[in-house]
Amino acid sequence: MRIDSRKKIRHVSGENIILMQADGMADMTQVVAFNESALELYNQLNGREFGDEDVVRAITDTYGVDEATARADAAAWVKSMREQKLILD
Amino acid sequence: MGTATLGIGGITLTLDGDTSLARALALPGMREFMAVGTEADCIEVRLDRPLALPPYRWLHRFDIADGTAECRFGIDAEGVYHFTFGDSGLLQFDPRQPDTVCLNTIDDPNLLRFAMWTAYAMAGLWRGAVPVHASAVVWRGQAVLCLGESGTGKSTHTHLWTTHFDGAWLLNDDSPIVRLREGRVWAYGSPWSGKSPCFHREGVPVAALIRLEQRPANSIRRLGTIEAFTALHPSCPPALAHDERCTDLMVDFVGGVIGNVPLFRLGCRPDREAAELSRNTIFPET
Repeated sequence: MRIDSRKKIRHVSGENIILMQADGMADMTQVVAFNESALELYNQLNGREFGDEDVVRAITDTYGVDEATARADAAAWVKSMREQKLILD
Repeated sequence: MGTATLGIGGITLTLDGDTSLARALALPGMREFMAVGTEADCIEVRLDRPLALPPYRWLHRFDIADGTAECRFGIDAEGVYHFTFGDSGLLQFDPRQPDTVCLNTIDDPNLLRFAMWTAYAMAGLWRGAVPVHASAVVWRGQAVLCLGESGTGKSTHTHLWTTHFDGAWLLNDDSPIVRLREGRVWAYGSPWSGKSPCFHREGVPVAALIRLEQRPANSIRRLGTIEAFTALHPSCPPALAHDERCTDLMVDFVGGVIGNVPLFRLGCRPDREAAELSRNTIFPET
């Protein structure tokens, strides 16, 4: 999988967001907001192909958590990124 | 060829052209903005230019508000932006020369009015001056901008202020110019004021913005950064959100505004109580 690099992280008053283009919705802006750890994963994995194990490793290397916790967090991050169509297969 | 100078949103617009110039100055509100002096910021609006549309990448198409003409927005290989208005109207803006906007001859007054607004939106964005879709009311020297989709009751709400609160007056009813200047957010009147003939040149510091929603009961709450962003961003010129570079500038602008003034979400009925709720929240000393 790969992060969709066409969608750019923007910084607004201390928040990190991606604007989602809502075609056909005349008066609506949708954003995806990243917390600190979601942003860290985004930055580490952006620009390259990666698999589930790479996400787990990024979490254990960065935060020093046990593998079970890292797997759960990695699955949640990938699921959330897929739901927002920010990951391309 | 003739020339005219307008002062809009703290920016001097120098218009030069032939038949379009006379038509532009005959548009409602334009003469009220004719300027004598010049501001530090200047934009040249060159009308009646023999423009040609090169191959360009189409970014967005839309109908102007009254549905009478299709408009397109795109960018060419040189990074020059192109707007088309109806069958023959053209606008070009080259960000490498952000002090100049060129238009061809546009006969239809409605299209010319929209093209002039677009010219301002495009060149204004490069200097942080953005026409925001809002109804703006002034009270005790500060402006409150009501945001919302068409038909939400923005004008109704500001009308409630001017009806019930002594000294409240309407700055603009459709497209005030909003700017950040020296750490403060300012709203200016403009020649684009919807159906209200409300043409004020003044600039007024902004106290707050309110996103309106029709509700069976009145309620108000202040929005956090992300909600405030999603409340203001769609009220900025929507076509420009389809381009990356324009979006960068727009995000900076919206971030600057919401970082300096509060933005509230008001669920409201069209009644005096709603106006009192918003006024008393924004100006708690009243």
